[in-house]
Parts: sequence; structure tokens; C-alpha cells
Amino acid sequence: MRQQVVCFWLQLKILLFSPFEGFLAVVFPLMFATAALLVYQVNGDPAAMLYAGIGAAAMGIWTSQTVSATTLVQRERRAGTLELVVAAPTPFSLVLLPITFAMAAIGLYSVVATILWDWWLFDIALQVENWPLFVLSILMAAVTIALFGFLLSVSAVRYRTSWALGAALEYPGWLLCGFVVPLDLLPAVLRPVSWLLAPTWAVEGMRAAAAGESPWGDLAICAAVGLAYAALAAWLGVRLITSARRDATLALT
Amino acid sequence: MTSARIFFIGGLMSYRALFGWMNPWIFVPSLLVSPVCQILLFAYIGRSAGVGDDEFYVIGNALNYAAIPCMFAMTFTIGGERFAQTLGLVLATPARRIPLFLGRSMPVIANGWFVAMFGVVVGSMLLDTDIPGSAWPLIALVVAVGSLASTGLGLVMGAINLVYRDGATLGNVLFLVLLIFTGTNVALDDLPGWMAAVGRWLPLTHAIEASRMLADGAAWGAVSGLVGTELLIGVGYLAVGLSAIRVFEWLSRTGATLDRI
Amino acid sequence: MPLTETPAVEARDLRRTFRTRQGALRPTRRTVEAVRGVSFEIAPGELFGLLGPNGAGKTTTIKMLITLLIPTSGSASVLGRDVVGDVREVRRRIGYVFGGDRGLYERLSGLDNLRYFSELYGVPPREQKERIGSLLELVGLTGREGERVEGYSRGMRQRLHIARGLLHDPDVFFLDEPSIGIDPVGARELRATIAGLREQGKTVLLTTHYMFEADELCDRIAVIRSGEIVAEGTPTQLKQLVSAGRVLEVETYGVSDDAVEVARGTGGVRSVVVEDRGQLQVLVVSCEPGAEVTQHVLAGLDGTRVGRVSHRDPTLEDAYVELVTR
Repeated sequence: MRQQVVCFWLQLKILLFSPFEGFLAVVFPLMFATAALLVYQVNGDPAAMLYAGIGAAAMGIWTSQTVSATTLVQRERRAGTLELVVAAPTPFSLVLLPITFAMAAIGLYSVVATILWDWWLFDIALQVENWPLFVLSILMAAVTIALFGFLLSVSAVRYRTSWALGAALEYPGWLLCGFVVPLDLLPAVLRPVSWLLAPTWAVEGMRAAAAGESPWGDLAICAAVGLAYAALAAWLGVRLITSARRDATLALT
Repeated sequence: MTSARIFFIGGLMSYRALFGWMNPWIFVPSLLVSPVCQILLFAYIGRSAGVGDDEFYVIGNALNYAAIPCMFAMTFTIGGERFAQTLGLVLATPARRIPLFLGRSMPVIANGWFVAMFGVVVGSMLLDTDIPGSAWPLIALVVAVGSLASTGLGLVMGAINLVYRDGATLGNVLFLVLLIFTGTNVALDDLPGWMAAVGRWLPLTHAIEASRMLADGAAWGAVSGLVGTELLIGVGYLAVGLSAIRVFEWLSRTGATLDRI
Repeated sequence: MPLTETPAVEARDLRRTFRTRQGALRPTRRTVEAVRGVSFEIAPGELFGLLGPNGAGKTTTIKMLITLLIPTSGSASVLGRDVVGDVREVRRRIGYVFGGDRGLYERLSGLDNLRYFSELYGVPPREQKERIGSLLELVGLTGREGERVEGYSRGMRQRLHIARGLLHDPDVFFLDEPSIGIDPVGARELRATIAGLREQGKTVLLTTHYMFEADELCDRIAVIRSGEIVAEGTPTQLKQLVSAGRVLEVETYGVSDDAVEVARGTGGVRSVVVEDRGQLQVLVVSCEPGAEVTQHVLAGLDGTRVGRVSHRDPTLEDAYVELVTR
């Protein structure tokens, strides 16, 4: 436990000093949220603006995970530390977990930043009926996306170009999780994919809490999907590290 | 003769040297799949908001995404050398700077053009927009001019990279500026006045507008002014970039910022 | 050396092949045998050197021993634990340091780097502070630990690395070319630190290209070439193994190939190497013990301008050059 907390704190420090994770991971989704809201603003329907504003707030969590989590292992490789952390007796999963949570913390920061920004630039004052549940939903989004990022970073150990794949997940995730677009608009074939993504449920929960409805059903599914990610990642972690040791892909840059 | 060789052969060689890490596993997701996803994202946002039609977003985002390969590759032709610590060696050669750096921009423009055209073609197929067949040759030309203009901006950033080491972050910020200010997703008329005014000075703004008009069936005469302006902006950025390289090269010699990575 | 107790490190016929792929569209596959059947034992408390040219398989061998690579065949154990099966126990008891300036978190301070790895190695929180303090003292970084690693010189990074490798007080320590790129003063301090480790009773496996380093530090040395061990023994034994004789050095100006051939053909001459030193070419002639070759070699140089002629005892470097080039 102590290891998790100290590692979380030190990794957060690394991220904050990094112009990429500490600055871009917040600004990038913020600007995409802005672009989306600019489109919504053309018609100026306040209900639609509020709908988009709530989802746009959470876009940053997704970015901070998919992009950063897959570049994470690449970064360790480049610094030459990947081999060292793998050679440590602590299981590799327990090394990665606090890092992904440090990223989720950056994601949470971006949520607050986006809400303030939207309020300042677009005059969107979030009308939330049930603040505690709304915050809980955001936290659920952060945690489950962190677990998804954990899954991604584990797979990145073995496949060294996975950072490019991770970066390519950013836009589809924004679309498929329904951050700024109602899922009903998407082709029906894509719906099962959305269901498999935990953030979809967290965003639903956020909207429900904001509207004063019960988010518990959505949050329960969200938690279940998130746990499935964690289990899958832990299982893959052992297998992929072994295979990286067999195929000598740890040291490659 | 030497300059011509530096322009063509040197340009191509440096491109191969600096992008040797590029492979289909990186190229396909980041330069083919991502632009299409960006198109889809905003097309659906537009549908959901009831603003614009699909074709509007296809053209806007496909051209906007050309900025990624153009700006990043151009910045990287300088920043990447800095990282490999070969920049000092290149600058120590007597080669003339204009063919040296412009030669490097040719493959970059071609790549940007390909990425944008791929976006337009695949985006229109996925979203079923119909751009008239006769418009395609001119759209291809306009996209090339737009790529040139973004590469010009990339050269400016490359120059900044001589004195400021975090070029990638800067490139991302500029991409975001282009996303919002060039009318990619919101027509300039619908943007606040000051944003539209900034957009008029950026690359891609006029190319996007011209391509949209062509796709709606406009004739060359109607867009030639826009294309001319875009070309002028592109050449302007290239000129600024080249002179900035000259200035910064001198500054880095006096301030010794070159070898720091 | 007869081993009565369990060896600290034991390698039995270790082999490792790599498959490389080049070209994305029409990949050509190649199999490279980096290590082909390496066996050795290191006794507890021994300082063992692994010597060889670049690409000989030193690093690959170490990576198999520290559990980062799985051997293609053969087996190895550290302190009696198998490096493939008993991964966690092996990792807990070994330290690993490699040369060069990578392997550190640039954006963290030296202290934070050490704290991070203390956690990963499960150093008990109560001991951590004291341990880090004494290690910083040991490697001479006290007072600089709060600065970010970005600003460290290469020597400082290397010393921080050593401190990192020692955090959990490992019994066996693997040092992969630790002195690469360090200035002479730093390298001397590093050698003192390594010698200190042995005095504490640690087992050390050291790889290096620097002969005097190996000569000064190692109890025993194995020379590895193209993935195979070609000689093994104490530094003195190795020197005798190749050249239990004398070395004749002749400075010449513009020596011809013919003259070198004459020297090679002289009875009692084992090998002749020509070394360029500025305008000079130095003929390094190693001879059988007791052989008197000076007159013959000089006679063969008739017509060539000859400078200083000297005799000396063979060095470990002579032995090494002969082993890896023959």
C-alpha cells in the first residue's frame, strides 16, 4: 500500500514537470471541447449546450489515459528505466497501477479546468441536481478509465509501436463514449463497442446525476466493466512480460 | 548544381534518415485512421447540434489534419537532428541554407497532401457525401497549396526549435490553434470577429474555404482569389521561416543553445 | 578453483538467439546467436570479470542472469535459485547497474529516484531514509540529491546508478560496463567503490573493456568472444596462458609488410601485431619463454628506420588482444 502511494506521488511529480502530460494532456481535450461547443453554439440551444458541456468536461480523462498510458512504457524505454523496473521484485502490475492513477489525477484536474473554462467562455453554468453523485460519477469515470489505461500500458510492454495505436484511440473514444454526441446518433453496429467502454456508463451516470435521476445503475455497470479491465490487465501483465523476456523486446527503443 | 542536388537528393535522404522509425504500425493509425476519426467526431457533433452538413466537416477536418504531418515533420527535420545531435554537424557544412531546408520540405508537402486527400476521400465515402467528380482535380490542387502553407508554418516552428527545445508541444498547440481559428468546424462567419480575423492570417483557412466551394460546384474563377491568398500566406511563412533560421542560427552560435537537447 | 559451497552465480551452457526482422513490406528474417553455450561459476564473495569486445554477448549474458531475458536453452541460477523459475527471489537479492547515462528519471531529483526504487525493492520505510543517506555519502552525492537528474553530469549519474543498485543491499551485484564514458578521476573513484563492495563480502560480476580495470579488480576473468568463452582464469593465469614469455617492442618509421612477415617467420615468435602511434609503427612481438628473437627481428628490418627497442612483460591487454583476434 505504501509503495502504491509513494510511487503515485513520485509519478505525479514526473507528469507535472512534463510539458506533454502536464500541459498538453489538459489543453488538447480542452480545445477539442471548445471546438465542439463552438459548433453547438452556432444554433445556441441552451439545453444542447448543457448536454455537451457536461460530457466535454470528462473528455480530458480519456485523453490523459489513452495517450499517456501507451506512451508511458515508451517513455520508460527511452529513459532506459523499463528494464530496471521490470528487474525489481515488485510485480510489474503494481509498478504500473500507481502511474495510471497519477495520470487519472491529471485527468481530474482537466475536468475542473474544463468546467471553469466552459463557464468563463461559453457561460455554461452546470446545473447539477445532485452534486455528490455527480462528483462520484466523475471519480468513477477517472478510476475506470485509469484501469483501461492500465490495460493499454500493459499491452504496450510487448508491442513497441502501441503508442501510435493509443494516440489513435483518442478521437474514437470521444465519439464512442458519448462525451459530446448522443449514442443514439451512431450506427447501431457500434453500440456494443460503446457498451464495453466503461466511460460510456460513467458519462451516463454524470448526466443522470445532473438531471436529478439515479445514476446507480449506470455506475454499477461502470464498476463491473472497470474490474474486468483490471482482471484482464493483471492476467495479461504476467503473460506479456514473460513473452517480452523471451523475445527481447524490453530494451528496444 | 550543388544546390539542386542538396534540394532533391539531400531533401529525400534527410527525410529517410529522420523518419526511419516510421512504419505502417505508426503511419496507419496516426496519419490515416486518426484524421478519419476526427472527421467522424465532428460530423456527428454537427449532426447532433444540427449545424452544417457532413461535407462541411469532411473537408474542414481532412485539411486541418494535414497540418499534423506538415508541421510536425518540418519541425522534426530540425528538432530530430537536434535529438540525434547531428544538427551541429549539418549547420557546420557550407551548404546553402535555402535549398537545404526547402529540399526537406518537398517530401513533407507530398505526405501532407496524401494524408488530407485520404481524409477527404474516405470521409466522403463513409458519410455518403457527394462531391462532384469534376471538382476533384481542383480540390487536389487546393489541398496541395494548403499543405505547402502548413509546411511553411512548420518551417517557422522548426526555426523556433533551434532556440526552444520543446518543439512537439509547440506543434500541438499550433495544431489546436488551427483547429479552432481556421474555420475547420465552424465557418468563419459564425466565429467571434476577432477569431475570424486571426484565422485570415493562418495557413489552411483559405484552402478550406476554397475546397468547400469547389465541392459545392463552384468554378475555378470563383476560388482562384482564395487559392492565391493561401499560396501567398504559405510563401510568406516559408520566407519568415528561412530568415528566422538564419537569425536563430546566428543567435545559437553566440548563445550556444544548439547543442543542448 | 574447487567450489565446496553453492556458487553465487552459476551458468550452464547458456544460449540465446535473437530473431531480427528488417523491412516492413517484405520482411527478411535473420537469426543471430548472441550467446552460444556459456558456462561459468562464481563463488560467493568473488569479483568475476567478463571481458570481451563489443557485441561479444556480455550484456546478453548478464540480462539472462538478472531475469530480463529467458535463455533459449541452458540454465542459470543465482544463489541457488533458478533465473527463469524463481524470478522474484532472484530479483530481490541481486543489484544491476549498467553504464552510460540512461536508466534514471530525468525529471525527478536524485533523492526521488532513490526513493522510487526503494519502494519497488520493498526497502522497509523505517530503514529507507538512513539507507539512502548513507548511500549518497558512499557515492559522494550528498548535498546534490535535491537537484533534478537532468542537470547531473555523466559521472554523477553513474554514481547515482550505483547507489540505486545498492538500495536493497543485494548479495550479488551485476555491473555492466559501469565505467563507460567516465573521466579518469571518476573511474578511479568508481574502482575504489567496486573494490569496497568486495570487501563487504558481495559477489560481483563486472563486464568491461578496460584491461587495467579488470586486472586491478577481478579475482577471476572470463574472456568472451562471439558468444563463447575462450579463456578463463585469474589475471595472472590469463597472462601466462597466452604469453608466458616476453614482449619485444620495436618502434619503426614506415615498416614494410615483408619485414613483418620476416618477424612472423622467426623461430620462437608467437605473434606480431603492428600498432600505429602517430608517425610511428610499433611492432609488438610476443615470444616464447627463453626465445632470443631480437637479433632476427632487427635483421629483418634492414633498411627500415628503427627507433627505440624495448622488452617488457606481457600485460593482460596483450593476452586479451591475442585471445579475441586469433
